[in-house]
Amino acid sequence: MNPQVIIGRTTFANPVLAASGTFEFGLKFPTVANRLGGVVTKAITLQPRVGNPPPRIYEFPGGILNSVGLENPGLEAFCADVVPRTRKLKCRVVVNIAGFSVAEYGELAARLDSEPVDALELNVSCPNVREGGALFGQQPRVVEAITALVRKRTTKTVIVKLTANFVDPAETAKAAEAGGADGVTLVNTLFGLALDANGRPFLGGRTGGVSGPALKPFALFCVDRVAVAVKMPVIGCGGVMNGEDALDFLSAGARMVQVGTASLVNPEAALDVWTGLKRYVQKNRLSNWDKVVGRARRVGR
Amino acid sequence: MRPALCPVAEVHELCSGVFSLWLEAPDIAHRVRPGQFLNVKVSSGPDPLLRRPISVCDVERNRVRLVFRVVGRGTALLSHVRTGDELDVLGPLGRPAPELRHKRILLCGGGIGAAPLLFLARRMKRATHLQVVIGARTKAELLLLKEFRALGVPVAVTTDDGSAGRKGMVTELAEGQVKGQSAPFCHPERAERVEGSLRRDSSTPLRSVSLRDRRNERNDTRRQPSAVFACGPRPMLADLVKRLDPIPIWGFVEERMGCGTGICYCCALPKKGGGHVRFCEEGPVVRLNEVVL
Repeated sequence: MNPQVIIGRTTFANPVLAASGTFEFGLKFPTVANRLGGVVTKAITLQPRVGNPPPRIYEFPGGILNSVGLENPGLEAFCADVVPRTRKLKCRVVVNIAGFSVAEYGELAARLDSEPVDALELNVSCPNVREGGALFGQQPRVVEAITALVRKRTTKTVIVKLTANFVDPAETAKAAEAGGADGVTLVNTLFGLALDANGRPFLGGRTGGVSGPALKPFALFCVDRVAVAVKMPVIGCGGVMNGEDALDFLSAGARMVQVGTASLVNPEAALDVWTGLKRYVQKNRLSNWDKVVGRARRVGR
Repeated sequence: MRPALCPVAEVHELCSGVFSLWLEAPDIAHRVRPGQFLNVKVSSGPDPLLRRPISVCDVERNRVRLVFRVVGRGTALLSHVRTGDELDVLGPLGRPAPELRHKRILLCGGGIGAAPLLFLARRMKRATHLQVVIGARTKAELLLLKEFRALGVPVAVTTDDGSAGRKGMVTELAEGQVKGQSAPFCHPERAERVEGSLRRDSSTPLRSVSLRDRRNERNDTRRQPSAVFACGPRPMLADLVKRLDPIPIWGFVEERMGCGTGICYCCALPKKGGGHVRFCEEGPVVRLNEVVL
């Protein structure tokens, strides 16, 4: 079968992406990246950011909390130093962008429009940045405004990465769709707090984002809920560790999956996820992805 | 880079809570350089999820040695492996320790910090004059002394309780060495006391340094180490920098890591001028003078 997936103007060779923030820019492991559908870069902001003080990671049974705080070289350095190298990758390159005002998303999108990248993923959901107050992604009205502005400033495929922190992602997904998004990714990390033995917040950024296998049932729930609320494709993300997990997300209604935390344990994890999916396709002689995508709703219960 | 399954060739407890593990890992053994580490999966399932970074302590033909202290659940699980078990290992990772051109280099290890210095000493001893100072809380916790001795490099020790070597902090001893205030390596009486039950190795030139040499060494500032490699707890490293700055001190930093491969940005050490060092990528051996400990 043809494993390609089309989202907006972008054709991905297969439905597996490396998730933002867990694979840097895909350049550390190009042989892995080249065989994926694509790589989503670390979030890029207008200005360089040094990120949060350490510790930035906390482990609990079944997952992790991170508070990297969007450390990145900033838009200009990214375009000058990183893009010339990512353009050599054989997979699609999706640039995750994060703004601290609606206008910043527009600026980021406009600048990247002329760069050789394939798509933009709008990070409206990073929960551990304390600047700017409430998260953009918690207000459907704001999500629509950001998406519409980015849509106006770029011809690239626009994907919105949604948060599910204290907001119904079905509502924000509808808003993204109304704003002209080509697809949504869900879910980003959930808010989390870890304490040390003295009752003091463990992470340097105080709070963090929960990811890993522990997030999967909730992420699956969100995908299942949003996939029937919008017409555009959904990209599932949250605790995908292997081919079976990826298949679950497709069954729940996702067209693609992102592999995040698993890449921290094994840099080839995303590739293994794709291998696992491929094996399922071959074993069951699937003729296209439609046979599995959203089947959780079709088979009842 | 794919993780490899490496058979455990040998495992034993060096002292209470400190384990030595030899892995059969020909590929890693041939590629690894001092300063690098392996990222070890301590369980087959998702708990604990992340790997545990452990510096390579030594290499022998096709084998790699890891020495680690049990500090949490992950290392406790790792201490339960048996000969013949297979460990899921990713590496070698991290940037190798820099090859310094300094004529005399001091290696300073506190507690478990002695471990990665052994491999460094083995590879560096021919190119430079090495001195090693090792500290621990008690005599029983002094690690790898025999191995350092066998390399034929001068070794001096300190213990917190004075049960072996000089009583006090290893950083004091290091400071003395660098500033030429003491030369405890070659004092015959002290050497005897330091060594205690450790048998003297005839191949070790350490003892053969005479008192006169020692005096000469003390008077000749060029003979003092002009660079330091250190490994140990954070307070020890911070103390060392305070004592020895601006002498270049390269330290093995221990900190929680996410990936170990430079993709997650979770192991950050603040730089003095702002920004962070990712020490899985730019370290784990970093110039301590340039970071905030």
